[in-house]
Amino acid sequence: MKIVTFVKHVPTSAVTPRIADAGDRIEEDGLSCEVSEADLYALEEAVHQRSVHGGSVTAVTVGPAKARDALYLAYAKGVDHAIHAVDEIFRGANAHVSVSAAREIVGKQGFDMIFAGIQAEDDLRGRFGVALAEELGIPVITSVTEIRAEPQNGRATVIRELGAGYKQEIEVDLPCLLTIQFGIRPLRYVPVLSIVRARSRKIESVSVEAMAGRPDQLQPEGRFRVVHLSYPEHNTHCELIEGSPDEVARTLAGRLTKASAA
Amino acid sequence: MAHTDVIIVCEAGRGQTESANARLISMGGELARHSGGKLVCILAGHGIAEKAAELSCCADEVFVADSPRHADYSPYAHMYVAQHLVKERQPLAVLFGHTYVGMDLAPRLAARLGTDFASNCFDMAIEADAVYFMRPMYRGRIHAKVAMDYRPMIATIQGGAAEDLPARGPGAITSVDVVPEQGARTRVLRTIAPAPGEIDIAKADVVVAGGRGIGERENFRFVSDLAEALGGVAACSRPLVDMGWCGVDRQVGLSGNTVKPKIYVACGISGAVEHVQGMKEAGMIVAINKDPEAPIFRIAHCGVVGDLNEILPRLAAEIRAAGSRTGAGQD
Repeated sequence: MKIVTFVKHVPTSAVTPRIADAGDRIEEDGLSCEVSEADLYALEEAVHQRSVHGGSVTAVTVGPAKARDALYLAYAKGVDHAIHAVDEIFRGANAHVSVSAAREIVGKQGFDMIFAGIQAEDDLRGRFGVALAEELGIPVITSVTEIRAEPQNGRATVIRELGAGYKQEIEVDLPCLLTIQFGIRPLRYVPVLSIVRARSRKIESVSVEAMAGRPDQLQPEGRFRVVHLSYPEHNTHCELIEGSPDEVARTLAGRLTKASAA
Repeated sequence: MAHTDVIIVCEAGRGQTESANARLISMGGELARHSGGKLVCILAGHGIAEKAAELSCCADEVFVADSPRHADYSPYAHMYVAQHLVKERQPLAVLFGHTYVGMDLAPRLAARLGTDFASNCFDMAIEADAVYFMRPMYRGRIHAKVAMDYRPMIATIQGGAAEDLPARGPGAITSVDVVPEQGARTRVLRTIAPAPGEIDIAKADVVVAGGRGIGERENFRFVSDLAEALGGVAACSRPLVDMGWCGVDRQVGLSGNTVKPKIYVACGISGAVEHVQGMKEAGMIVAINKDPEAPIFRIAHCGVVGDLNEILPRLAAEIRAAGSRTGAGQD
């Protein structure tokens, strides 16, 4: 079974990115990045499916030069091939460009299943997987939490979330695209040494411009624009309680006892 | 007139549909008032006549695809009706709830129309003739004001409390016969209802929830103990369910339960958008987290930046001591 899984390199979760002076983007200088968490689950599932059914897993990222790091992690996790669609102009943030590049790549590779995380941690959109499947004309199931593939029969049975604790069991014909929900299986710890070793693996590099055309001609029919970024305002005045753990506990206990008696 | 009607894709399903529908009606209604168009509602499912009648009181028109074939959710029926109406009405916008169903449908519609969509919108701004949506980015640490330079605009809207909805209608209800899908490549085998859990956190007055920040599985006992001291229930955010530390019956958020307790104590929960959706209407929100920039502090009424493994046991002890001082539970 041939699986292609997409990984996106996004700003690390632990820090709030700085908004650039332009106001409509974040400051890229000095920004440290990591693989978007949902994509880690997709990666984990792809490697698991290969261990069951054989075949190969190709990890693909669309992004600037430093997004290669996402692919080294993918190698350390056990993928067989890695492809970097180099996008220095939009840095993986132009959804139309990323989808066009992805379509070209998977079209050349061939595949039985494509995985992508349910949504990227940076734009929180949940667009990429569905848009790619629609472009390819293949079925897509979102928010998948379990996969039983039967490549010999050309199909898979999956469980997907519907929200509020409800799920669905769905049979889908291959080839298909599945967007992978958090927690589909536990993430394995990757020793630093295996990431270091992975840095000697070969990454096939392709230019987004060569695949998707010149960026200035890529103005999509429907433009979606970020007009302005801001740090969220406090919805309410959050009273911060300070002091030693004992003091904090005493003050907070007072507040809670009062509120629960109200 | 083109580009004035607003289509809202409501849900007749389970879980968060009430708050999702309420917000679609209020935001869709505001947009339709601005454009001078109609508020047009789409509903698909089975046995949904009552829901359609209810929605017709807040919309100008309701299009209903009601058939046993739509008993299990499948994007096909919704897309059939939505695409048909988009073509016929050329609406200003098509709005979906920010639910698993809405997030399944909105990107499909955008892809088929060759456009784009804004997910997860929590607010809308109409400035002169321009319409903007507000949505989170970067795990909720940054908010973005976005514009869509095409029609219809497509967005998924976060649910919210039912507002006093402006009277509309009663709108005409039109039944739509969806032509059966040919050569379907996906087949729903069954819809699985959540197994009845040992507790129903949705009904509790006090919810103490633990998140990834508790660090170790065994630290969840501090969360449970504080819940017990407060006479409430222990709950959790998604990562704890994913790691197998808690059952889904204790999960708060879009995937799990929506709670509205008097008191919600978030321990080591960063405040991911999907979690906040499930608890933002709590009366008093207390956040304990070591990261002062965690988005949870943006919605909390009261917060502590610190190590919850130090604070929680002391807090539980203080609450028990206060309870015994006031003689709570003795009369």
